[in-house]
Amino acid sequence: MTQPTSADVVIVGTGVVGVVVAEQLLDAGHSVLMLEAGPRVSRAEIVENYRNLPLGLKGSASSSYPPKPWAPHPMPGDDYLQLEGPDAYAQTYIRYAGGSTWHWAGTSWRLTPEDMRLNSLYGVGRDWVFDYDTLDPYYNMAEQKLGICGPSDPALQWPPRPRSAPYPMPPLPFSPGEEKFTRVMKEALGYTNLPVSQARNSGMPFDDRPACCGNNNCVPVCPIGAKYDAATALNRLEAKGAVILSNAVAHRIETGDGNRIEAVHYLDPERQEHRVTGKHFVIACNAIETPKLLLMSADSRNPGGIANSSDQVGRNMMDHPQLGLTLTLDEPYWLGQGPVVNSGIMETSQGDFRADHAGAYFRMNNFARNRYETFNALATGKVGRALDEEIRRRVACTVSIVAAHEILPDANNRLTLSAKKDWLGLPKPHVYYDVGDYTRRSAETYSMPIARRIAEAMGAVEVKEPSAFAQSKHLMGSTIMGDDPATSVVDSDCRAFDHPNLFLPGGGAMPSTACGNSTITMVALAFKAAEALTDQARGA
Amino acid sequence: MQHSSPSPGVSRRKLLLGGVSLLGYFTFAGPTLAWAREFQGTPLHQRFMELSGRLINHRLDEGTGLRIAAFAAQKYAGLAGRVERIIAIADERDAQEVEQFFDAIPEEDRELAYWIIAAWYSGASSGASDAEQFTFEHALTYQTTLDIVPIPTYAFSAPNGWARAPAPLLPVPRF
Amino acid sequence: MTRRPFTRLLATACLAAPLPLLAAAPAALDSDNETLARGAYLATASDCTACHTAPGGQPMAGGLEIASPLGAIIATNITPSKSHGIGDYSEADFVRALREGIRADGANLYPAMPYTAYGHLSDADIHALYVYFMEGVAPVDTPTAETALPFPMNLRVAMKGWNLLFHDAEPLEDDPERSAEWNRGRYLVEGPGHCSSCHTPRGFFMQERDDQALTGAQVGPWYAPDITPDVAAGIGSWRHDELVTYLRTGKLDQAQAAGSMAEAIEHSFQHLTEDDLGAIATYLEALPTAESSSQARSRFDHGEPGDELASFRGDGYAAGLSGDSRGAQLYSANCSSCHQADGSGTDDGYYPRLYQNGVLGDVNATNLIATILYGVDREVGDEHVFMPPFGEQPNAFNALNNDDVAVLANYLLARFGETDDDGHPILQVSADEVQEIREGGPRSPLILLARIGLGVGVVVLALLGLWLIRRRKARRR
Repeated sequence: MTQPTSADVVIVGTGVVGVVVAEQLLDAGHSVLMLEAGPRVSRAEIVENYRNLPLGLKGSASSSYPPKPWAPHPMPGDDYLQLEGPDAYAQTYIRYAGGSTWHWAGTSWRLTPEDMRLNSLYGVGRDWVFDYDTLDPYYNMAEQKLGICGPSDPALQWPPRPRSAPYPMPPLPFSPGEEKFTRVMKEALGYTNLPVSQARNSGMPFDDRPACCGNNNCVPVCPIGAKYDAATALNRLEAKGAVILSNAVAHRIETGDGNRIEAVHYLDPERQEHRVTGKHFVIACNAIETPKLLLMSADSRNPGGIANSSDQVGRNMMDHPQLGLTLTLDEPYWLGQGPVVNSGIMETSQGDFRADHAGAYFRMNNFARNRYETFNALATGKVGRALDEEIRRRVACTVSIVAAHEILPDANNRLTLSAKKDWLGLPKPHVYYDVGDYTRRSAETYSMPIARRIAEAMGAVEVKEPSAFAQSKHLMGSTIMGDDPATSVVDSDCRAFDHPNLFLPGGGAMPSTACGNSTITMVALAFKAAEALTDQARGA
Repeated sequence: MQHSSPSPGVSRRKLLLGGVSLLGYFTFAGPTLAWAREFQGTPLHQRFMELSGRLINHRLDEGTGLRIAAFAAQKYAGLAGRVERIIAIADERDAQEVEQFFDAIPEEDRELAYWIIAAWYSGASSGASDAEQFTFEHALTYQTTLDIVPIPTYAFSAPNGWARAPAPLLPVPRF
Repeated sequence: MTRRPFTRLLATACLAAPLPLLAAAPAALDSDNETLARGAYLATASDCTACHTAPGGQPMAGGLEIASPLGAIIATNITPSKSHGIGDYSEADFVRALREGIRADGANLYPAMPYTAYGHLSDADIHALYVYFMEGVAPVDTPTAETALPFPMNLRVAMKGWNLLFHDAEPLEDDPERSAEWNRGRYLVEGPGHCSSCHTPRGFFMQERDDQALTGAQVGPWYAPDITPDVAAGIGSWRHDELVTYLRTGKLDQAQAAGSMAEAIEHSFQHLTEDDLGAIATYLEALPTAESSSQARSRFDHGEPGDELASFRGDGYAAGLSGDSRGAQLYSANCSSCHQADGSGTDDGYYPRLYQNGVLGDVNATNLIATILYGVDREVGDEHVFMPPFGEQPNAFNALNNDDVAVLANYLLARFGETDDDGHPILQVSADEVQEIREGGPRSPLILLARIGLGVGVVVLALLGLWLIRRRKARRR
């Protein structure tokens, strides 16, 4: 049977943004062809990959997803990402059908209205071109589609305002450690530790997927599909008529008259070239692979790359720079019951101080501690009962606190095409990155002092502080949204200014990061873009 | 309260923790059955299980023991003799528990003893990224906390059923 | 002797078919709230909704396709809709449908409608049901598709002969030598509960084999097991309170309801009174049972927790699939997250153990295969139990092919099922068996044989006619 080569809409990327757009278009009656650079795999295989990792490697989320040679993604210690600058943009993501939500934690914090108006309110960064109320209905759609659970208590809402629609499911229960943490934070510091909005089936099946059973392995893979990941949508999309081509590495976007996108060219594992055409195109490969593809596709009409008359494609690379502390406590907290991220303190991300430095949100990571502490315990030289007690004490009494910061868009934080080539001969991405003084000042004057107060309030007897920012793997900014085509890549519907039939929804469009994980905002943008695309396709 | 920044600390058990592999991929030693099958039921396997039981006073899974023993035979020259030496020390002391004889293990055999204990508790040959994986489910580290913390990837309870009273630090569950 | 015997035979048959009865307007109902409530309770006990309500459909509006070995039978709209339901049924019509399996227009119902059981209902109870269906159910004016079984099963008139041979249900009379609880239990089991419709094996003509009552039978892709007190094959090893709990919740440590039984628990049993559940248990426990088979242990008593992980852990998924431990590797990858690495389930019993589990120890592997392919979906009280399927559904956890399911099932049976003295499982699953269950269960040869039978009959009659014609010609000469 010959491969299909055309559809109403061609979508490059089968991550959460791609599958959400695809389903909206299919439901509206359009044909959809999806290209995925990497392989289609079963959940069973990934679960076994994880179980087969030695203990020392189980902390590397991408190690359960060995990349195919033709679809490289960053792996520990490799050089796929060519990094430069005072801070390393050492991100990871997964080029498999289903994308990086295979291993996300499911955390779904919405933006606040203030998060979207940094420039107007605090004189820094960029404003979004629409307000929170405009995005709200798309957030609701995202929550229904992904199956997001959260509290109905008005005192526990984020953003702190009444919701326009209830959560599909009630919150997941806290572990005893989280209960204790919540109490201590309230009593000692006046902070509210909120149940996190998370894409996880709470106490019931949802979306024909089972309920969370507390196996504490959300990262790197939910063994049962209780956490939403885009892979759960793929069979359903095909049942609705989508054609999904995996192991199809898009490498060139072809333009035609009127600078419309005409086709996408892809290479297969035999390095054979294929061409697919459509009336509309969506590139949703994440904020590293999307600008890479756009830049690779420079042609005579678009010498700076597709959609790049603004010269902003690949610029403004953003993330949520993280600082992680490890505390040793004198009483047991027992992390590891329930999902790996179940709560967070968000109020510290908001305030007038944002005129001077970044906000931060704090969470107690809820990973079971055996993986972190076993070798430490063995290193003490204890044996027998003393060893058992040492491991148990460390698992119970060590805690990971993470401060996740916002970052401002900086045009110098930039992705370009390096001279180094990958297995297919395509350029590896090069990224220059500096988290910037806005974020560094936060660490020095704001977030680390708060973190130390948290540690003290919890009765920490030992605190291991980080030496550098780590990455959250939340890729944002590289196809930035605005209302001026001279300074932005896409408009309020994530439509490329330069090409009327090209959409670039996702993290790359976000003009501000705030502190909370970006996925739900990306999905809201996907719904908004799909709506605009559907309207446009109907009119076309 | 101590604060410390991470330093290139010297690990007391260097051989246990090893260095971080440059590869970051997990490597497979090949179908276990092929190279471990030879060892099943051999005198060395049986004595290795005996030694393991003397060093670790818990129920030990035979399949895991087979894999650790087979790897140890490749890693340690003269494994059979060393196993006998350590067992002899335990017998000499008429030791019912590891605490009763471990101190008497001579320096040249200490490392093997520690390695065996680490292999059973961590389920791997070291903390390196390219360590050999012997077991995940039977790694003893999880047994010390199984009353309250799941082995990752394995359901802990009915949906939303994990909120329970915090367990006391002691005693360690029996296993 | 006529010249065309077959045609004459056909004409005679047509004349014998009853004319449609004129529908009489239902008399004003002699009803009160108590009767209505009793009718509602009986409708629940009879589980009318299980067949007559389609998934996501209006209550009692029909449309559900019931898989039978002879083809799909579509449940009708039994709301009081005058255009598309039973709104014009007189009480006599209703009684005739329930007791005799004849609908208001005179056509026969297929015994997928268990009138062979409902015939045991008392007059008072059928009256209460009638009141409920006329006044307690909202009319839905939507038609359902017509059942169209393959020829010759589409000739409903054939049911008349079938009923003559096999249908003899009369209202039950209490046995004065038994307790009130036993009598109530018998009434519920043989009447509204219609347990034998699933649990009693059927003969060649799809009739229940009363001599093997409740000893187990195929129901589409599932197997309704032996529920007699036989210790080995039945539920004789269960305590009284366990049986009651099972009926109320669908779950014991050693047994979990799936397929049609999960539906029955969800729609019917969980809503019955504690006394009625106890009565059912009392009756079932007192059933006569044959000498126990040579099996010494109950089907809930096989297997031990354990694993084969050392054979492949750390080697890689592909290596695990290609080695001798493929079944164990499939189990680990697909099942162990919930059922645990050694098959012992979670401590709270929510995710069931696989050893000492009736599915693994049963006389056939049908339910094991069906559970894998179709999963479990059971809502009882506030709890929604859900195991995803592993067939070709869009939400299948992993689409296992027939070979995979067979290899996995054989691993499970070897480890958690009944084994012989050498430790080999007594059951062996083949890929073909998996395919059959994937297709909805074994097909009956009845249609083919009936067609052959008819064909042979036509040929015989034709030859007879030919012979007669030739004989007559010969006589004329």
